[in-house]
Amino acid sequence: MKSGLTVFFAAFVALGASWFGFVVVPTVQLGGLKQTTVLNTTDLYPPQRIGDATLGLQIYRANGCAACHTQQVRQDGVSCEVVLTSGGKNPQAVTNLLAILYLKNLTKAQADDVAAQITAAGGKVETHTVPSGADLDHGWGVRQSVAEDYLYDYPVQLGSLRAGPDLAAIGLRSSDANWHLLHLYAPQSVVSTSRMPSFRYLFTVQKKGATPAPDALNLPAAFAAPAGSEVVPTPAAKELVAYLLSLRANAPLYDAPFTPPAQP
Amino acid sequence: MSDEIKNTPPTQPDPAPDAGRSTLPIGIVVLTVVLVFLGGLYFDRHSGWFDHQVYAPYASTDELELYQPKSGAAAAIAHGKVVYEQVCGICHGPDGLGKPGQAPPLADSELVNAKGSERLAHIPLAGLNGHVQVAGKDWNMSMAAMGAALPDDDLAAVLSYIRSSWGNKAPAVSGDDIHKLRGTMGAHPAAMSGDQLMKMPE
Repeated sequence: MKSGLTVFFAAFVALGASWFGFVVVPTVQLGGLKQTTVLNTTDLYPPQRIGDATLGLQIYRANGCAACHTQQVRQDGVSCEVVLTSGGKNPQAVTNLLAILYLKNLTKAQADDVAAQITAAGGKVETHTVPSGADLDHGWGVRQSVAEDYLYDYPVQLGSLRAGPDLAAIGLRSSDANWHLLHLYAPQSVVSTSRMPSFRYLFTVQKKGATPAPDALNLPAAFAAPAGSEVVPTPAAKELVAYLLSLRANAPLYDAPFTPPAQP
Repeated sequence: MSDEIKNTPPTQPDPAPDAGRSTLPIGIVVLTVVLVFLGGLYFDRHSGWFDHQVYAPYASTDELELYQPKSGAAAAIAHGKVVYEQVCGICHGPDGLGKPGQAPPLADSELVNAKGSERLAHIPLAGLNGHVQVAGKDWNMSMAAMGAALPDDDLAAVLSYIRSSWGNKAPAVSGDDIHKLRGTMGAHPAAMSGDQLMKMPE
């Protein structure tokens, strides 16, 4: 083997380069990631999880939820939308302009142009940043997932297969803990077309006492426990639900900008 | 016969195959160069130069900066509202009406509605002690330098917000104004009395 040394060094460089690119560089870039501020506020994002939710991450992991659920929302594009906030002193001129201008799906340069035209006519406008993409159309989130979203996840439950919906913002879509408990015990009781298996071992079926347990599930008749007994969530079920409710990736950030809906 | 055999040179065994260097066809060299060039173009357009804050569909920090939802004065005032509610609203109230015995109102206050912002900005930057006339009443209390720890832009946004809300109509305050004012005030300005404050230029 005349060129053994060459092969060794070639392999060393190839493996070393990929280690450098896939391990060292991301660690340098993101290893020191800290909470960041939500755009145009002083709020910190992401909020630290409460204890139950931190434990719930391990229940999520133990039950293999990531086998069927992802936690990564993708975004395909971004556009600008010009929103009229006031007609100004000459509403007729502004109305005439609105009839001929496109106000949605604009690039930033086009939006600036449209905004300038309306402002020149006396109207007042705001330019909104609107993310778009198939995942967002599903209602799975309001923006794409970025590194900050996973700051308190260890290990990160990205998932790679979507037998069920993406859960990056499940805490916003269904913010009711009871809904989640019913859904874990009998998915078809709340979503009739659900293909999710039921996680009944996270619940205890016990004999009903003189008064029902305070956290007994209020199941529809078709899914109810046998007469005289009640379904009570175990601590693991409550922790898992606390974790699911903590998944709310909806803050506008510098690296995932969008205009949040106006506060009422 | 034997002469003929002798004249034939002895046959050499074939040399062992060698993985040595041989000339590459020029077509492959050209193809490689073209592929590297196209790869470079793609990298330049889509990589964001490996910046960890640039995600697709954004191609660079410049483009990301472009799409930050800022729309001038309105965004600054919206930001000011947020800071106000965290820092000032506890005493002055989310409606700017103040609280009897705790904080004077900001709505219809001569100090807030002054043309210049210097006197107004002094209050959160340095604090205020003692008697001050606000909206026709005498207020005798003290306010700490609540704005001293805020960044220039945040304080400017708060002042712009209170100067344009609850019926107040005074021009906005810019971060530069606050920065200049801070430069003249020194690191730890002492709290002013109401009289001292009123002697200041607006």
